[in-house]
Amino acid sequence: MIPGKYRSVSGRAANNVEFKLNKETPSFSGRLLQHDLERNYSSRQGDGRVISPSPRNKSSCISSTTNVTELCGLEMKTAMSSLSAFGDSSIQTPSKSRIRQGCHSAGPNVSGDHITLASSSMPSFPILQRSSEEKILYSDRLTLERQKLTVCPIIDGEEHLRLLNFQHNFITRIQNISNLQRLIFLDLYDNQIEEISGLSTLRSLRVLLLGKNRIKKISNLENLKSLDVLDLHGNQITKIENVGHLCDLRVLNLARNLLSHVDNLSGLDSLTELNLRHNQITFVRDVDNLPCLQRLFLSFNNISTFESVCCLADSSSLSDITFDGNPIAQESWYKHTILQNMTQLRQLDMKRVTEEERRMASVAAKKEEEKKRESHKQSLLKEKKRLTINNVARKWDLQQHRISSIAPNQDRKVSDCPQDPSQLRGSTVSAFPEETGSLDSGLTSALQGLSVTDTHLVEVDGDTLSLYGSGALESLDRNWSVQTAGMVTTVSFTFIEFDEIVQVLPKLKIKFPNSLHLKFKETNLVMLQQFNALAQLRRVDQLTVDPQGNPVVNFTLWKYYVLFRLSHFSMQKINGTEVTQNDMIMAERLFGILAHVASSELPQYRLISILGDARKKQFRYLLETKGKKPGLVNEENSDSKRLVGENTNRATLNYTTRDFYNERLEEIKEKKKFCKMYMEDLVKEATEINMKNEALQKLWPQMFIELVRDAVIEIRNKNSYMKLCLQQITDQK
Amino acid sequence: MLSPERLALPDYEYLAQRHVLTYMEDAVCQLLENKEDISQYGVARFFTEYFNSVCQGTHILFREFSFIQATPHNRASFLRAFWKCFRTVGKNGDLLTMREYHCLLQLLCPDFPLELTQKAARIVLMDDAMDCLMSFSDFLFAFQIQFYYSEFLESVAAIYQDLLAGKNPNTVIVPTSSSGQHRQRPPLGEASMLEGVEASQFSQCLENLCDRHKYSCPPPALVKEVLSNVQRLTFYGFLVALSKHHGINQALGALPDKGDLMHDPAMDEELERLLAQVPGLVNSATANPEAGCLPSRTPPRVGSPWRPLHHARKVDAESDGSTEETDESET
Repeated sequence: MIPGKYRSVSGRAANNVEFKLNKETPSFSGRLLQHDLERNYSSRQGDGRVISPSPRNKSSCISSTTNVTELCGLEMKTAMSSLSAFGDSSIQTPSKSRIRQGCHSAGPNVSGDHITLASSSMPSFPILQRSSEEKILYSDRLTLERQKLTVCPIIDGEEHLRLLNFQHNFITRIQNISNLQRLIFLDLYDNQIEEISGLSTLRSLRVLLLGKNRIKKISNLENLKSLDVLDLHGNQITKIENVGHLCDLRVLNLARNLLSHVDNLSGLDSLTELNLRHNQITFVRDVDNLPCLQRLFLSFNNISTFESVCCLADSSSLSDITFDGNPIAQESWYKHTILQNMTQLRQLDMKRVTEEERRMASVAAKKEEEKKRESHKQSLLKEKKRLTINNVARKWDLQQHRISSIAPNQDRKVSDCPQDPSQLRGSTVSAFPEETGSLDSGLTSALQGLSVTDTHLVEVDGDTLSLYGSGALESLDRNWSVQTAGMVTTVSFTFIEFDEIVQVLPKLKIKFPNSLHLKFKETNLVMLQQFNALAQLRRVDQLTVDPQGNPVVNFTLWKYYVLFRLSHFSMQKINGTEVTQNDMIMAERLFGILAHVASSELPQYRLISILGDARKKQFRYLLETKGKKPGLVNEENSDSKRLVGENTNRATLNYTTRDFYNERLEEIKEKKKFCKMYMEDLVKEATEINMKNEALQKLWPQMFIELVRDAVIEIRNKNSYMKLCLQQITDQK
Repeated sequence: MLSPERLALPDYEYLAQRHVLTYMEDAVCQLLENKEDISQYGVARFFTEYFNSVCQGTHILFREFSFIQATPHNRASFLRAFWKCFRTVGKNGDLLTMREYHCLLQLLCPDFPLELTQKAARIVLMDDAMDCLMSFSDFLFAFQIQFYYSEFLESVAAIYQDLLAGKNPNTVIVPTSSSGQHRQRPPLGEASMLEGVEASQFSQCLENLCDRHKYSCPPPALVKEVLSNVQRLTFYGFLVALSKHHGINQALGALPDKGDLMHDPAMDEELERLLAQVPGLVNSATANPEAGCLPSRTPPRVGSPWRPLHHARKVDAESDGSTEETDESET
């Protein structure tokens, strides 16, 4: 009975309206079908739909339909079916007129079945005349379908015409109908009209069908105030405009046009159905200004986000909507987002919305919301992290270029009550408790103490401890939970001077005893000897030194030096490359002699002092930590012994940080100064003594002779000498 | 100690000139520094060891730069130590950059100044090719001249500049510390044949300089010999000639001849012993002990048996560039 293609529409119409087929209907529907086949459109479902009455607006629909029918003097059912289909097929009336056009060449009056088309006085327009019986039979309608018309013929003496059908012609311009002022129904489907014009006098026009034409712009509809149905599908319209005054318009069909968006809809106060299928619409606005809109067809457009159609949620009248064929319909969240936001909806994509679906949608939406919040949180954190790292990087660059803007944050204090790092979905994120004010408090509490400070960042992610910025090194002073500390096997340093790292290595060794993999990036590693500092660690399996900010990696020898100096760790990987035995041999070949020279040729006292330095350093640190963890200290002791025993010949190769070294040089300078003075005095004294001694040696022989001579002279006169001696003795008594 | 000069000078000055004071001061300084350790095994023992190590030249290991450059003996000792420790690097055929050599120097002397290494590299390389790779021997001999005769070269540079400017250098008061502005190498070009100064005049000036120079300078006879071979020469040409001169190296006495540069049987033996201790090592390491004794005159060109272990292709590719560089600087 009814062509299957129209089932959804006409089926319902059949439900609602007493629909009695008259004898003409079979042929009519058959023609409809044939008509369909002639169309190029392959998928037209819904395109042709202009009115599809739903139970809700049954009365209004019927009344309006009746209205038209009455006016047209047609049977109601015919109008119904044609209306419901005319989007595509336009109206079909049983009467058929033939027109032969003779406008160009010879214009003899060609007689059709009932109608004669004669050349008018105006040379180019055919004049249409109907036989009188025809006129009586179909007094208010005229069908000029498939007449190969290129222009509108002049229709004479038909002022009472209500319905005019020009379907399937080649008309390029609407003309010669301005006298038909009682026209209610004008069908120009499938012509070649490029502009809407010539309609200004048709004030009572209710239905205007201009589907499948070449119209580029909606215009010249100003006087058609009572327009009820406007069909412009299959044209080249790019923009909705000049329709704001059509306050009685119920149906607007703009399917298969070139619309890129929907806008300018205010004023269409009666619009109940809007068909926008097969356009290129990316966003929809203004729909919430349509108080009566019930059905909106947006299938096969380019809508990809709900945000671009969010005004739909504000429309309270909308009950039926389609989005199929849009990118949005592919999204997993599509259905429940739509249902959640548009609770008034009864049908979505031609399917009835069930309560169950609604419930599911709300649950899903809640989940979505939560997820969103969570991801927002995460992204916020990520962003914070990114910003901080950027900041640290900038600071680092400044520092590297010696632009002396030394961070004023040096005096920032780490609060005395370090929190225990929190577990959060497998990844522990933590930092200092200070400066949490910069984060919103809810977030902070949710993540328990994650905070991102301006100058540094500490992050524990799984088994990796990442430190950015020199301030991050202070985190090693904190009380890390045993679990976290035990889990960390990789420690990564970024934007920190290697010399600063060296100072915390003993702490690192104690706090993160399982750290096996060290990563350095932007740490200013410039010298081979800096690697010496790593020797004091407990164990290093892997070493990754990023070439970025570490010029030492450009040296061909660095890897071998690392292998040589840290040979007691038997490292497995350097910069991600497996260490082979050949590498080990090579390292020994290159630097073995250095170690040998360093250990065997160094004078004993120096050996002791160099080794002692390292040991002393250890002791000093151990003394500091003593009392807290006696167990650890013992372990440390044995550890250091083992270390010293294992490679004494290498232990002499150690690294003192530049600052420390400079300090020591200063110290040495002082000592040297003192020694110089001391030695000067000493040597001067010695040379003086030597000189005196030499002078004495020179004088002594002469002196001796003189002494002897004096003595001899004294005792020459024996008697007087005796007397003198006796005298002296008696004097003494 | 009992040279006749001794009588010509007051004792104190004699000691200072002979650097005896330097060592005595340093000994006391060391004693002061490590007095706790040393007091455990006796001051006399310490002094014995100290002066023994000075004699052996091992006293400069890991010492501060100011001490290392304090006396000619220290300088020579440092050169020898450097050669001894990193001979293996050269033997391996590796060509290194100036910075890398500097790093090696810093392994022995943590505060070794970069400037000195740069100057040495400038003898080997052109000004605009300072990032190029150098062979170990090229660098070592250039470094020897630069390091050992550092002050002398400053003066020579000043004289050279004056000669270039057409001044009479005999009236010039030789600067001993101001450097830098003299270090500009004259631009190379077609005029380079006429570049430089006349050798005979230069030679005379240097003779004068050697006479009154209070720092160590190369034997005047040898300098004369170097200069007698050419008509004109540039400053860097002179330095290159010095660094390549066999006799000057011998006179300096720190390093072996170029031909024997890679030859140190005692240390090689030691190295083999050390290699045998490398954990999990197979005997392959001792497969060709004579390879170590093989004198590799031009390490980059001769395919050293060591090289296959090390990225051989890279070395090959780079060796060409370096020899070119070296040749250029010889002209």
